[in-house]
Amino acid sequence: MEKTYVVIPKNCTGCRTCELACSMVKSKRDEAGALGKPRIHIYPTGPQRYMQMTCLQCVDAACVKACPSKALVLNEETGAVEVDEERCVGCGLCEAACPFGHIRFDRDLGLPLKCDLCGGDPACARFCPYQALEMRP
Amino acid sequence: MARLQSTQQLRQLKERIVAEKPADRRAIAVCAGTGCKAFGSFELVEAFRAELEKQGLDKEVELRPTGCHGFCERGPLVLLFPEGRLYQRVKTDDVPEIVEKTIKGGEVIERLLYEEPGTGKKFEKEEDIPFYKHQHRLVLRSNGLINPSSIEDYIAIGGYEALGRAFEMGPDAVLGEVKGANLRGRGGGGFPAGTKWELCKKQPGDLKYIICNADEGDPGAFMDRSIVEGNPHAVIEGMVIGAFTMGAREGYVYIRQEYPLALERLNKALDEARQRGLLGEDILGSGFGFDIKVNRGGGAFVCGEESALIRSIEGRRGVPRRRPPYPAQKGLWGKPTNINNVETWATVPLIVAKGAKWFTGIGTEKSKGTKIFSLVGKVNNTGLVEIPMGMSLREIVYDIGGGIPGGKKFKAVQTGGPSGGCLPASKLDLSVDFDTLIAEGAMMGSGGMIVMDESTCMVDLAKYFVQFLRSESCGNCTSCRDGLDWMHSLLQQVCAGEGTMELLDQIEQIAETVRVSSLCALGSTAANPVLSTIKHFRDEYEAHVEQGRCPAKVCKSLITYTIDADKCTGCLVCAKRCPESTIEGEKKKPHRIIQDGCIKCGVCLDVCKFDAVHVE
Amino acid sequence: MPVQVKINGIKMSAEPQETVLQVARRSGVHIPTLCHLESVESTGACRVCLVEMKLGGKTQLTTSCNAGVEDGMEIMTDTPEVQKHRAANLEMMLGRAPGSQKIRALAREYGVYESAYVPSEDPAIPGCILCELCVRVCEALGHSALAAVSRGGKKYIGTPHDKPSESCVGCGACAEKCPTRCIEMTDTKKTRTIWGQTFDFVSCETCGAPVMTVRQRTHAVETKELPEDYYTTCVACKQKNLAGRFARVGS
Repeated sequence: MEKTYVVIPKNCTGCRTCELACSMVKSKRDEAGALGKPRIHIYPTGPQRYMQMTCLQCVDAACVKACPSKALVLNEETGAVEVDEERCVGCGLCEAACPFGHIRFDRDLGLPLKCDLCGGDPACARFCPYQALEMRP
Repeated sequence: MARLQSTQQLRQLKERIVAEKPADRRAIAVCAGTGCKAFGSFELVEAFRAELEKQGLDKEVELRPTGCHGFCERGPLVLLFPEGRLYQRVKTDDVPEIVEKTIKGGEVIERLLYEEPGTGKKFEKEEDIPFYKHQHRLVLRSNGLINPSSIEDYIAIGGYEALGRAFEMGPDAVLGEVKGANLRGRGGGGFPAGTKWELCKKQPGDLKYIICNADEGDPGAFMDRSIVEGNPHAVIEGMVIGAFTMGAREGYVYIRQEYPLALERLNKALDEARQRGLLGEDILGSGFGFDIKVNRGGGAFVCGEESALIRSIEGRRGVPRRRPPYPAQKGLWGKPTNINNVETWATVPLIVAKGAKWFTGIGTEKSKGTKIFSLVGKVNNTGLVEIPMGMSLREIVYDIGGGIPGGKKFKAVQTGGPSGGCLPASKLDLSVDFDTLIAEGAMMGSGGMIVMDESTCMVDLAKYFVQFLRSESCGNCTSCRDGLDWMHSLLQQVCAGEGTMELLDQIEQIAETVRVSSLCALGSTAANPVLSTIKHFRDEYEAHVEQGRCPAKVCKSLITYTIDADKCTGCLVCAKRCPESTIEGEKKKPHRIIQDGCIKCGVCLDVCKFDAVHVE
Repeated sequence: MPVQVKINGIKMSAEPQETVLQVARRSGVHIPTLCHLESVESTGACRVCLVEMKLGGKTQLTTSCNAGVEDGMEIMTDTPEVQKHRAANLEMMLGRAPGSQKIRALAREYGVYESAYVPSEDPAIPGCILCELCVRVCEALGHSALAAVSRGGKKYIGTPHDKPSESCVGCGACAEKCPTRCIEMTDTKKTRTIWGQTFDFVSCETCGAPVMTVRQRTHAVETKELPEDYYTTCVACKQKNLAGRFARVGS
């Protein structure tokens, strides 16, 4: 793991470019309904203040513990917990177990949606115009 | 019953039994297989018992209820020893006469002898009757000689001697014999048993299983039932030899629940074998231990497929799985397992006792030994026949089977059960062995052989078998489950004279998908009846779709029943018997069938004594 | 010891316990599947993952999902023969599930637009292709509330004796993974109805929205290491609450 994903709320203007970038990148799949389902969400927390919420990639993750089919696996290279779509049995326990609400079970796809750091080069960070999301060494 | 501690003691027991019951003593063997039982053979046994007691002959003459003799058509069968005289279709009323005239007086009762249809020639001895004369009965022979419920009877004819010999030879040498004999699986696949045994023997681990497949499901087939009913110890002995060779400690017989008599006799045989120390711990003092459990099947045809059968024993849904891994590698409860069918197991003791060289002297180059068939359908002598591999279909149908009854013409013979293929008259000289039948689009199967005459519609027949397999498909693979269902609907259309010639192409295409893309042998062979009938009887299919005509006059949508006014005497019989009351007419005046109401059941045709009903 | 196989003419090294499908996908070769999941037993039910396999001089079609690799195996994934029989199987499935977009789209790839096949038995569940993926998923989850019943064309999927199953927890995994989405599942704010049974939801402590069924939570607590208080709040509230907490810490 060479770089760490860093969130800098004080730089965030709430423009939601990150959400858009995420939806676009993750909507490559041809099944309907994926576009518009970003894995990052912007919450207003006060006047002109915003908080970017996305998966914390917990080391000892509740979602991984709850999954009955070993469909959530740690990518050693990026440090991200990734969904193995070929293993997911669709029970939704990951969503129920994550204490932070960062993994959502999508009923259209029958799969959980979560941030996987785009394999090490997250689109949200690339497209953030204000350096509010960064990959730092 | 004392346990036998050694092969020496087994030999001594045999000598004692033979001394008590010499082979040339008087005996009455009454067939008590399921077929003859249906004709009342159990009552016959009781009648003989009473009569012998009444005459004070019960000590002198042995009364022996036996397993199936094969000639079921003529049951109940009574075989009289030592002459080997066969009385057929014997009734309880005949018993006093038989005891009085034949047993006491040595006189032959002509009326009870077999009379050849056509020639009227009578035969006194079983061995001279054409049905038996052309057979080569290795496995079935003992059926007439022993009471299946008596282990002593089996020991008296040399039973369990092969097991003793196997213990002396050691597992490697036994395997060598089975391989050398080139014994191929009698359950249908024809896979060399020795190769299977070797693979299982080679697997590491102490826990191995062997299974006897007695889930005989082909319609009209009863080879395995008759062996288990008539000679259960041969199967047990074969299994113990197999277990010893492969190092298995536990075995299962998976047998149909619908075979109550076979089950009863098998359980009795297992009990007696245990009491005699021929099953259980330390068999014949060899230190080798092995026991057999009985598992009853629930009537699913697909459970005859080995991987489905194994799942069924495990208590799961009987669905085949992909092989490899083969049962020899990963079978029952995930352990190395060898599975053979009843006939294969029953052949093993013969090979061990008489040697591979003797066995390979019978049969063809690649198919050795004999095979039992259940010869049924439109043939004079129906029953169980055991033939050497390589005999022609013609010899089976005409020499053993006595040809087609009623002077009708032979049309086809179907071998290999519901998923076998139909062979036309031009193929009658084919050699009956594993490879020749497969090459012709039929198969050996477990030994079903159905003869058809000109009154059989081949399209209707194909539809029947597809219907059977459609219901018996486990339903796992799309291709088998839906493909057969689809083919069935299309065949219904053909039988109704609907559709065009393209329908035939479509049926062939679906059949091909069923054949190549299904998981197990049920699916991959299910299209055989359709493909083989289209191949050999295409003209019949064409007559249905192109001319709307059923040449065999079977398909109801394409036939009409009419009454010939010139021949009809106006007797009213047909009108009275018509279930739909759709025949009108007055007494002594020609009748007429009202076509709208006719369900084409054919009752009028059957009851008319004046040949006035025609079907077109 | 690794085995050597060829996929579409390209040499590949594979582990003996791998399936043909795994090796193909690993090497970027696409094989369609409908009833396959890596986490459940592969039964080869749908037959769309058929490939042509050459081994020991014998060529045959086999399903790739449940075929283990063997040394010297040559696999072709897209021959005319493969396409023809995938198409035929898809036509049959389209006959069972004419409303399934997934089947329709896949069938279209093989030139099948409409199906001439009409099943002769009325289906117990319209649109069901009888692949038993739901059954296998339910078994993998430790519930085994579903089973295939009967044989041949009469086969259908149901609960034991067609009565509400005691082991069903209402998780809905069966419905989520069904390739044709034919399993009826009706959610209200408080309850979920599936397989003839109505389950109460655990309601979010904050907003009252459904979190999961009560039965699923009980099963999860019994079988997994996370305690019950992990399963109290809905996903939206959890994220919103956390955002608020972060903001407070930040200021």
